[in-house]
Amino acid sequence: MLLSSLLLIPFVGSLVVLLWPGGPSPQRLRLVTILILVAQLLVSLGAIALFDPTAPGMQLQELHAWVPGIGLDYALGIDGLSLPLVLINAALTLVSAVITRDIDKRPRIYFAMLLLISGAVNGAFLAENLLLFFLFYELELIPLWLLISVWGGANRAYAATKFLIFTAVSGMLILGAFLGLSLLTGTVDFSLTPVLSDRLTIGGQLLLLIPLLIGFGIKIPLVPLHNWLPDAHTQASTPLSVLLAGVLLKLGTYGLLRFGLQLFPEAWARIAPALAIWAAFSVLYGSLAAIGQTDMKRMVAFSSVGHMGYVLLAAAAGTPVALLGAVFQMVSHGLISALLFLLVGIVYRKTGTRDLQVLHGLLNPEKGLPLTGSLMIVAVMASAGLPGMAGFISEFLVFRGSIGVFPLATLLSMVGSGLTAVYFLLLVNRAFFGRLAITPPSGDAQVDGRLDVRLSPVALRETLPAIALAAGVVLLGLWPASLGHLSEAATTAMGLTIGGVA
Amino acid sequence: MPVISADLVHVEPSLSCDELQRRLLSGQTLLAESSDHLLEVVGVLESYGEVLDAYSLNLIYQAEHQFLNPVPVFKYLDGDLSPAKIWRHLNHDRINFEYAEYCQKAMFWHGTGGLDAYLDGEAFAANCQAIIAAKRRRDPLLALLNPLFPGFLPELIRSAATTHALGQFWRVMSDLFLDLARAERSGQVSTIAHVVDFIKDGLVAAAANPITYGVTIAGQHHWVLPPEAGLTFLVDVAVPYVEAVFLRGMPFLGTVSFNAQAQQISPDQAQFAYGALYADPLPSMGAGIPPSLLLQDMYRHLPEPLHQWYRQRTRGEGDVRVKICMSFQKSMFCVTNAAINGTMPHPLSTTDPQQQAANAAYALAWAGRLAAGRTDCLAA
Repeated sequence: MLLSSLLLIPFVGSLVVLLWPGGPSPQRLRLVTILILVAQLLVSLGAIALFDPTAPGMQLQELHAWVPGIGLDYALGIDGLSLPLVLINAALTLVSAVITRDIDKRPRIYFAMLLLISGAVNGAFLAENLLLFFLFYELELIPLWLLISVWGGANRAYAATKFLIFTAVSGMLILGAFLGLSLLTGTVDFSLTPVLSDRLTIGGQLLLLIPLLIGFGIKIPLVPLHNWLPDAHTQASTPLSVLLAGVLLKLGTYGLLRFGLQLFPEAWARIAPALAIWAAFSVLYGSLAAIGQTDMKRMVAFSSVGHMGYVLLAAAAGTPVALLGAVFQMVSHGLISALLFLLVGIVYRKTGTRDLQVLHGLLNPEKGLPLTGSLMIVAVMASAGLPGMAGFISEFLVFRGSIGVFPLATLLSMVGSGLTAVYFLLLVNRAFFGRLAITPPSGDAQVDGRLDVRLSPVALRETLPAIALAAGVVLLGLWPASLGHLSEAATTAMGLTIGGVA
Repeated sequence: MPVISADLVHVEPSLSCDELQRRLLSGQTLLAESSDHLLEVVGVLESYGEVLDAYSLNLIYQAEHQFLNPVPVFKYLDGDLSPAKIWRHLNHDRINFEYAEYCQKAMFWHGTGGLDAYLDGEAFAANCQAIIAAKRRRDPLLALLNPLFPGFLPELIRSAATTHALGQFWRVMSDLFLDLARAERSGQVSTIAHVVDFIKDGLVAAAANPITYGVTIAGQHHWVLPPEAGLTFLVDVAVPYVEAVFLRGMPFLGTVSFNAQAQQISPDQAQFAYGALYADPLPSMGAGIPPSLLLQDMYRHLPEPLHQWYRQRTRGEGDVRVKICMSFQKSMFCVTNAAINGTMPHPLSTTDPQQQAANAAYALAWAGRLAAGRTDCLAA
């Protein structure tokens, strides 16, 4: 019942917000949403107490037949792979609600959609049935599309439509693969049982795995399927970007591990070398594209493309260490990218621009955004993989676990890691160092040197969510055993499965 | 409502050289008349006066009681070595005397005016040798250092002489600025023109004050800057101080880096324009920018009406030091204005064309230098 409550709380909460009597103010709706999300976070934390980290398989399972004729069961379970993601979903949705301020249109629908997404994402992470996963995977699309198209930036219609088309194709490919499984095996078994050669030929497995890879590759996103992401991020509001980068992209990597690697271990082992090269390509392309960006948000979005490539590399390598690294990377990227988007959002809200050719000197201690800038430095250091922060431990595990299996792809990905330092140092150097400026340079240094920039200060309450995320990033970096303890048994078992068939 | 960057950026027009010259020759103040300006200038000069009082006492203490002390660990304590004072010092509940030293170094390094000429003269060298001879008999470290590095101790004495001279200069200025605040409260000063006149009168009154400095070694008095050197307040200390601190300064601005090898900094010190009148108020409180220390000191002594005025603007207490710096720049333009008026070759009311031409040339020379400064702060 605990896992069901992780769905019930946000879904019922969504209805409560929608049907709240009278005309509640946006502040009241926000408070109600925050309370619901705090409850969800507490229950998610409660799952840790009941979770046995030494057991590799699914736990706290719930199984009810729903539509037996088509193989759709209400089957929920949690393991060391999904538990961290459920936690990060609860935490980051809460952060998104907390940082939602000045919502000017339809706050009721906004907060209801936020809760709906959180519930759907929980459902996708907890589903033990392929069709149930697909239902939840699709369920988050419409609210997300609405959140971009209604509460997005100036070019939101374009970005929302692009997002919808890409992710709808992703959904179709995944559903096609799931239904194809039924068709090729001649059964209506949509459980998470690995599909091996005794059930399906290797050709058949590859035929199903490839659409899954493309489907989840769009969601992650992997180059060249990433095209929707920078636009979606650029147009999305800050809370949505936090959710998109921190949680929703993880649906792709989670799907890859759960329904690619775990469901088709033989086929996965067969195409793993190609996946490793694809990962390295994605990492390098994402990093190089990030270097070329002048919009802070697009730069962070492209960094996401690069960093999610590490998860594919780890999944391709399939060693226990690499898979543990993949889980770490999902969590640390969730925290770090959420932090980065949150801070970019503060900069944008205060200065009205994200243009790196315009912004300068925001670290100015009295007239700039010094705390925001300091947290940004923490975030970019973590993203670049500096020791003591979450990014280091995840990248180290991924590279350590992959280099023995795919040395070339790993080395190329390590170059990508170095490039992270390049583009984020460019960002920090341009936007935060030098003389404070938020308007394009006039060409006359003396004139620019006399501009009096009057930014409003960042209140501590605006920065608190970022401080909490930064603390999480450092905590995970200094105490990686906290997460490793939860996931190690599951990832080791997963690694042995792939190792056994390879 | 979306934030439009341009709405957050304010810029005031800078004044041209011609306009500055016109204001100087017409007797108009450089700083525009306004009640806000009066509040800012008088208030900030009052807090500056309080700080200068402490700076002055400490510089004179250092020059007289830490003279040729090779390890002046307690030089900022003014001779009070009580545990409470040491604790307050370590806890940074104190005036930043480092800023006073920074100004002394700027004066010493730029070295203009009669004081510097005297420090390079033979009379001074002879005084130095007598002082060193007296001192080395009691100090084995100095006895060792002097023969090894013969230029070292005279240089320290030159530095001490500048320190003492600056202490004497600030003694006068501190009293003048505190008197100004009292005069404003009593209603004698109610406009910026009054402020400039008050400062000018104070400078003129002190102009001929002798600048002397002597030290006592083993009960015997030695002159470093003897009365017969004829050094006076205005031309030998005030003018070099204005040149070094207001105008030339040092090229460490905090947010801008210069490539000295590419001659982004002029090899000619006389061309430097990094002083208080050219400074960008923005980098306040950044690491390693000495004026920040002055702003911090002034913040501790800010008069309540001015503090209240700052609180009501932009970030309130958050950017108060930047605001102090902006007000300080306005008040320094007033002091410069007073100094120029006080040293004008002829009265402004003269009808003699030759005298008028001399005044015009003098005003033009100043206007040319000031035009590159932060004249944007002068608008109402």
